[in-house]
Amino acid sequence: MSKELVIDNISKHFGSLVALDQVNLTIEPGEFVCFLGPSGCGKTTLLRIITGFEQLTSGNIIYNGRVINDVIPQKREFGIVFQSYALFPNMTVKQNIAFGLKMRKMPKDEIDRRVEDILKLMGLSGWHGHYPSQLSGGQQQRVALGRALAIKPSVLLLDEPLSALDAKIRIRLRTVIKRLQHELGITMIYVTHDQEEALAMADRVVIMRDGQFRQVGSPWEIYKNPKSSFIAEFVGTSNFMAARKTDGRVKFGQIAFRVPAAAELPGDNVYLAIRPENIEIVGVTIDADDCEAANIVEVSVEVVNFLGPVVRLTFFLDGEEMLVEITEKRFEKTGIRRGDKLKLYFPPDAFHVYSEMFKKLI
Amino acid sequence: MPMDTPTAEPDAPETYAVPAGRLETDRFVIPAVTIFILLLLGFFMLFPLTSILRLSFFKGGHFALHNFTLINFHKYFTTSYTLNALWHSLYVSVATTLIVTVVIFFFAYALTRTTIPGKTFFRNLIMMPLVAPSIMQALALIYLFGRNGIVTAHLLHTNWNIYGPVGIIVSEVLYCLPHAFVILFTTLSAVDIRLDEAAESLGASPFKVFTRITLPSAKYGIFSAAALTFNLTITDFGNPVVIGGNYNVLATEIYAQVTNLYRFDLGATISIILLVPSLMAFMLNYYISRKTFSMISGAAKPVIPPSRPFKKSAFLSYCSLLSFSIIVVFATVIIGSFVKTWPYDWTLTLAHYHFPSIGGYSAIWTSLWIALVVGLGGAFITLVAGYVMETRRPFLKQPLYLLSVMPAAIPGLVMGLGYILAFNKPYYVFYGTPWIVVICVIISNFTLGILSNISSLRNIDPSIEEASISLGGDSLRTFFKIIFPLSKVAFFQNFLYFFMRSMTTISAVIFLVSASVHLAAIEIIMLDNDGWTASANAMCTCIIAIVLVMLGILHFVSKKIGRQTSSLVPVDA
Repeated sequence: MSKELVIDNISKHFGSLVALDQVNLTIEPGEFVCFLGPSGCGKTTLLRIITGFEQLTSGNIIYNGRVINDVIPQKREFGIVFQSYALFPNMTVKQNIAFGLKMRKMPKDEIDRRVEDILKLMGLSGWHGHYPSQLSGGQQQRVALGRALAIKPSVLLLDEPLSALDAKIRIRLRTVIKRLQHELGITMIYVTHDQEEALAMADRVVIMRDGQFRQVGSPWEIYKNPKSSFIAEFVGTSNFMAARKTDGRVKFGQIAFRVPAAAELPGDNVYLAIRPENIEIVGVTIDADDCEAANIVEVSVEVVNFLGPVVRLTFFLDGEEMLVEITEKRFEKTGIRRGDKLKLYFPPDAFHVYSEMFKKLI
Repeated sequence: MPMDTPTAEPDAPETYAVPAGRLETDRFVIPAVTIFILLLLGFFMLFPLTSILRLSFFKGGHFALHNFTLINFHKYFTTSYTLNALWHSLYVSVATTLIVTVVIFFFAYALTRTTIPGKTFFRNLIMMPLVAPSIMQALALIYLFGRNGIVTAHLLHTNWNIYGPVGIIVSEVLYCLPHAFVILFTTLSAVDIRLDEAAESLGASPFKVFTRITLPSAKYGIFSAAALTFNLTITDFGNPVVIGGNYNVLATEIYAQVTNLYRFDLGATISIILLVPSLMAFMLNYYISRKTFSMISGAAKPVIPPSRPFKKSAFLSYCSLLSFSIIVVFATVIIGSFVKTWPYDWTLTLAHYHFPSIGGYSAIWTSLWIALVVGLGGAFITLVAGYVMETRRPFLKQPLYLLSVMPAAIPGLVMGLGYILAFNKPYYVFYGTPWIVVICVIISNFTLGILSNISSLRNIDPSIEEASISLGGDSLRTFFKIIFPLSKVAFFQNFLYFFMRSMTTISAVIFLVSASVHLAAIEIIMLDNDGWTASANAMCTCIIAIVLVMLGILHFVSKKIGRQTSSLVPVDA
């Protein structure tokens, strides 16, 4: 069974570069934790420290109450799934899965039984004699998962395991991994830069940037209440407005929004963030009677992007490009076209207010 | 997706762990192996080298400050005969370098930038000199243009003959072609041909394109090929000793001082003098080749546009001419070994294969088994050395790398002389046995072996090693179960390389043969020296045949292995 894993004030420096800056987290047994962040945020470094492939500069990595900083990777009994699968090309599927068991000097008949179980678990029965090069990417990653699980690891670490796969297979394998986690009750630590993947799979998401944990919480919490403008942009999409508090209102250009949350922030300059799906279209998604007049703005539609279940409309607000999304069903009824004038309603509670704007990633 | 619900996944009654003792010892494996290889290179490369330095710079070879002397060098530079060897060496090397670079550039150009037919044939043919000792060219030239040469004496009835600097230059040119070709072919293949097309589309004339685009983009390759040719020529012994006549060069002078005059101190001194230019050429080459590699891009290669008819036929004739000269060299040596008296009596005979020397066939067998041991040992130890350098946690990587590239800078003859000076003591039991030959050849060719292994190891995804470790694999198992099998192709290539070098090298081993150890390549010199030229040709033919057979075997084997590991045909379960 998995035990508690504690990331205790870990820092990692590469020369003058700070890859990890005093991060802390307690991972519960059987939990699915996702480290999510843009490239260079330190998430892979953290994973490599947990696996033992990288040494930490300060802090402790504690498993089951024991500091394991100096325990070599072979003895940590953690399973690892790599982005590149890292299957042994010179071995068959069976030999790949049996490798870890052979290292443990398990008797042969027991190895056979275990390999058979794993193949069944991974939906790969009958494929034991194949070489990795004969399998599809999705199958290869399932072999890699099976190989890591065969040794009954106490924790399974996955380093962007799906990013090399096609979109369709990626989504299917998400379900496979999630189901395995439920069935085996094993702690899984998952590193990804794909926010959709993190939201879809994790019990808890850790947003990382510049070697720090910026927000830790359930996917729902993070999506609904992003703690910073960076997270509001990185997880999902947000429209941003650099605004100014004036006379109890928040002014963005000529528009004076009523934003109750702005009062809680010090200073006069604030940044408003609102998600495209939270902006209402008056007369389409909301009745004019239910709106506060101050937060209604008339705009004209510049671009219409049909994305399948939703339709994204681009408009300009005081020279800034903004987005609003409505469901495809509503869109069908209204028949909005490029150039149409729309009245948009910005619900006062839908705004997130920040006192600082993050620096653009690119 | 078919996925059964797991039935047997309750808590395991017993858990297996990786044996702890094995992992405890594992942390010492990489450092121990690294230190072993460092000691090996130190003892069999640095130590012989210091022996040469000691003997040339210290009175009586005794290392002490008051013994330091430059008298040997003074003597060398004031004796006009020995000093001439330096000028001679520089002259033939510079001449050879200029000729080879120009000649092979256009050959490589034809094979990479024109649409002439028969490219595979030309490419294989230009590589042929690698299968023979660097003495074959001289033997052939003597049969063709010597005092009794078929062309000079019998076709043109002239008294002119090729002995001397001309002979050395021509034979070295023929010997260096494949080495320079490999570099220029790689360079010209790597440079994007679309640059030429872009220049042409902007209105540049073909001549302008060539001088402004093609040549500058290949300049590192050209310099690198030139440096390598210079190094090969100035350090070569086989060709000048046979065709040089009275024209002494540094390599032959070292041999003469040591073997004929027993002046080991002067031999060592000339070795140092030879070491200087060859070291400079090596460093230049090393510096340049790093730049070359950074220029090579993985861009897709577009199709070469059809060459104009005149260009095509000109280059085709050029390549044919060059190939023809290589064929003539081989044909002369091989035919010369089967006819009664070249060029008077063309009756076929096997008489020259009854070797009149002491070594004879036993020399061939000795050479063969030594070459097999060198091939296996060299390929294996350079792979191990490459692995410990490229592994996740290398130990003393920089010193090991430095020592590993050094052998390429040391001329074989100098290494061989160092071996006699260093190991000619009763307690070095391997001295005077074939084993010293094995060691010397492996160490002399260590650099190329390890460099090719490093580049092959870098193609293996580092995650594969980490996957093995995360599953409980230790260094030894990771190496033998994964890295070694994945390096099979490189291993076979290196085996072939070491095998060929061992069969054909002369300079590295000429000082190491003895009354009890005879080697085929050295026998050629001995036979030729004693006037048995036809038998020398026969011995040379035997070496060529053995190397070609091994090439065929390995080609077959590696094809089979290649099919096995990269098979994409789905097999029904």
